[in-house]
Amino acid sequence: MRASIDELHRRFSEDFATISDMETWKSVRDRFLAREGGAITSEMKRLRDIPSQDRPAFGQAMNRLRASVEAKLEEKMSELKAATAAAHQALDVTRPGFPYALGSSHPIKRLQAEIEQIFVNLGFCVFDLPEIERDYYNFEALNMPRNHPARDAQDTFYLDDTMLLRTHCTSVDVHAMEALQPPIRAVSTGKVYRRDPFDATHSPMFYQIDVVVIEEGITMGDMKGMLEAFLKQVFHPGIRMRLRPGFFPFVEPGAEVDISCIFCGGGGCSKCKQSGWIEILGAGMCHPKVLRMSGIDDSRYSGFAWGMGIDRVAILKYGVEDIRLFFESDLRFLKQF
Amino acid sequence: MKISIEWLREYLELPETPQKLKDDLSMIGLLVEGVEDAYGTTVLEVEVTSNRPDCLSHIGVARELAALYRRPLRLPGAGRPPGLASDRIPCAVEVRDPELCPRYTALVLDGVRVGESPDWMQRRLLAAGMRPLNTVVDITNYVLLETGHPLHAFDYDVLRGGRIVVARAHSGQRMRTLDGVERELDESMLLVNDGEGPVAIAGVMGGMESEISSSTGRVLLESAYFQPASVRRTSKKLGLSTEASYRFERGADWDNTVPSIGRACRLIEELAGGRLASSLQDVYPVRKEPVSITLRQSSAAAMIGVPLEREFIESTLGRLHFSLQDAGDDAWTVTCPTYRADMEMEADLVEELARFYGYQNIPTTLPPSRSAGRHSPVYALENRIREILVGLGYSEAVNLSFAEESDAEAFAAGTDQRIRLRNPLTEDTQYMRTALAPGLVRAAKRNFNFDRRIVRLFEIGKVYRRGPGGEPTERNMLGILGTGGHMDPNWKQPKPEFDFFHLKGAVEALLGGLRAFPYEIVRGDAGWLSPADAAELRIGTDRAGVLGSLSTAIGETYKLRQPVFLAEIEFEGLARRAFQPIRFESLPKYPIAERDISIVVDRDLAYREIQRSIADLGIAELVKVGLVDVYEGKNIPAGKVSLAIRLAFLDREQTLTVERVQESVDAIVQCLYKNYGAERRSL
Repeated sequence: MRASIDELHRRFSEDFATISDMETWKSVRDRFLAREGGAITSEMKRLRDIPSQDRPAFGQAMNRLRASVEAKLEEKMSELKAATAAAHQALDVTRPGFPYALGSSHPIKRLQAEIEQIFVNLGFCVFDLPEIERDYYNFEALNMPRNHPARDAQDTFYLDDTMLLRTHCTSVDVHAMEALQPPIRAVSTGKVYRRDPFDATHSPMFYQIDVVVIEEGITMGDMKGMLEAFLKQVFHPGIRMRLRPGFFPFVEPGAEVDISCIFCGGGGCSKCKQSGWIEILGAGMCHPKVLRMSGIDDSRYSGFAWGMGIDRVAILKYGVEDIRLFFESDLRFLKQF
Repeated sequence: MKISIEWLREYLELPETPQKLKDDLSMIGLLVEGVEDAYGTTVLEVEVTSNRPDCLSHIGVARELAALYRRPLRLPGAGRPPGLASDRIPCAVEVRDPELCPRYTALVLDGVRVGESPDWMQRRLLAAGMRPLNTVVDITNYVLLETGHPLHAFDYDVLRGGRIVVARAHSGQRMRTLDGVERELDESMLLVNDGEGPVAIAGVMGGMESEISSSTGRVLLESAYFQPASVRRTSKKLGLSTEASYRFERGADWDNTVPSIGRACRLIEELAGGRLASSLQDVYPVRKEPVSITLRQSSAAAMIGVPLEREFIESTLGRLHFSLQDAGDDAWTVTCPTYRADMEMEADLVEELARFYGYQNIPTTLPPSRSAGRHSPVYALENRIREILVGLGYSEAVNLSFAEESDAEAFAAGTDQRIRLRNPLTEDTQYMRTALAPGLVRAAKRNFNFDRRIVRLFEIGKVYRRGPGGEPTERNMLGILGTGGHMDPNWKQPKPEFDFFHLKGAVEALLGGLRAFPYEIVRGDAGWLSPADAAELRIGTDRAGVLGSLSTAIGETYKLRQPVFLAEIEFEGLARRAFQPIRFESLPKYPIAERDISIVVDRDLAYREIQRSIADLGIAELVKVGLVDVYEGKNIPAGKVSLAIRLAFLDREQTLTVERVQESVDAIVQCLYKNYGAERRSL
């Protein structure tokens, strides 16, 4: 009697081990628990044939066996269900995600906004000035009268004798002096035009930023300090700056400003022609004539001004090798920014 | 300017390496762009700024180095004193326009044998980038490169009347210049004439007739000072720039006419066998005084931002050949060398002091900010537009501000108000653009050429037109272009075609993001948009822009082969309404009830009409009306369309009853039936 129960248990354990899916689970369950012909059910039916003094023990043993088999099957069922569900719901997570695509902001426009923000933080007023400008604001009032040789460097598009496409944003110096009383801190950015045919380094249209400060007691040291603060923010806090004497008719003393080469760090490479320095902008102390022409008392106020190509910054920062790319709206280019 | 180091060493000790000279010159304002070995010497390519014509010569550069290194300068001796000249040959000079020619110096040599100049001279000319021609011409060029003063040599025997007359040209006068070109002259130009006609364009180029040739035996040398502006005007007008005009227009040294002509005279005597045969003619009616400037120690120090010692100021300027006279009160009267054409005022002297103090030695300071910064009015608008459109998948373009003739034809932009450039680079860039659309369409086309069919771009930029009074005006515009797909094709949406409603949706998202209310988009027209979907954007009551698909005619002109959708929006219209204040509305405490209705209406009934009719019912609890499906085809009569409209109801005070919602839905359905014969369709 005892032996038959153990035998049943052994057979169940063996068959149980073979359960791999619902099919096999069902056949094992039926084999042992089916109302008709299930091994355990059939065995239970033999209870009547058991001598009465053995019946309680047999009955209890069979019930324990049955309960344990049912519990095991139940547990197995949950396992199988979980496995099936997982198999059904499993995603191929390696498929591409939904292509929400961001566009891109234009590298020059983004730099322009960044640069304006830097100057607003430094207490500057941003001027939005016309691109079609009077000769007076672009040249005359900046100490470049007609027939001034410095005009050669800025071949100009003219509408007529008095109107032209601005060749720089330096007109902000004059507009700011006309609109404001010192202390003045003004900046203007935008498109400028020069009559240069397109090539890899020239474009008849490009972007500039010009800055002017006019206050009491402004020195060249102040100009250097402001330049350094600005250039470190635009490029990298680690760059070094160098000023050389330079000439622009609207400033005196004038300066050319170099930064340590951002490609080699100043050691010398092909980008900086082995010099370790890259020319980045022109600056200087406001020319007394320019101040006077716009009604500023140059015995009381002094100031500085500088101008820089934004495209040039973008070219250096991103390593763009051809200025034309900025204005061709080629998405293969734009999408990189 | 090419400067030979070997040549410089004639004027001062110079043990420095070329690299050291390059660095040092650059730091005092003479940028050396290149160093190369040529013709037995090392040549520095020096970029001389237009304010420093005095450095357009070897002596000029030597002077700067002597001042920098504190070394003595050895200059070549001047020519023989003019007093010793003979009078064998007459040389008469008359200057009729002393304003344009303040000084004219001349002399004549005879017995000249024109041949090849010596090897050392040829090499120096070549190293400096000049081609040797013959002894006499080479000597004038040599003196030019040495002293910076332009000279000219005439064949005396060709000069009619043996005299020189400096006068303005007559209108219509012509002459053939040395380069063989026949030049037309006008009254603004100054000429050097002989007794009968022009022999040189003053300060620019000599005439062909009186050119020095191998048969020349007598030479008239000219050494003059011409007014810079006049030479520049003439040079520009003739499109003729020469070594001479380049220097005269920047400012030559009026005190250098005599030493330079003396130097050339002596070289011709030494190298070409000539003998001085005339007295020196020096027509110099109004003596030009050297510039003198008051310099104050305090203002120089204040400008540079460092204390400057008296000794430093006196020694620096002294080494640069300025002469200083004590003017009391820590001030000097500074007399400038006549070759320093850039000296005008105190600031110019301050620059000299800063140059030799060393820009790199000036300590940096940061002036304290005395005011808060302020952005330009368009900054916030532009940045927000950029943020939104980039978020929606559009990339920002910057196109040229120029326009082609065909842009105006194709886009039927007002040709009369176009702004034309007087001197455009090319035909294609002769106008300023009046719209952003043509540039964006060309940009799309360019991308198609690179096999990119899906293009979404926007541009913020100016357009240009003449105003009512003919004055040029500029306006900021926003242009948006979409074509080929509203996203990249993908496995969930293999063909995401771009259509009008994608563009409209982008415009609506933009306006919402900008809080530019109220706006509406209605049927509109623009010649360049297709009549099928041309729409107009109104913000408030203003017409603020247009949107739609590019007309098929333009599509064909540009060979586009796929529909292109465009919007152009005026910045001004946006700016006026954008950034309306945000007013918080407390969150509802009760749930929203949603009901969908489906109606069949005429196909050409505008959805906006339906919206309006529903709004006119004034149902307070109706908080949202949305179009959730549009269907035509099977089971829908021809000419009809089925619309599924989702209605959302909310009562902020209490929970809505089912009955109340149903009442409202019924009212809406009835109204639509009454107004448009809308049949309700079971869902």
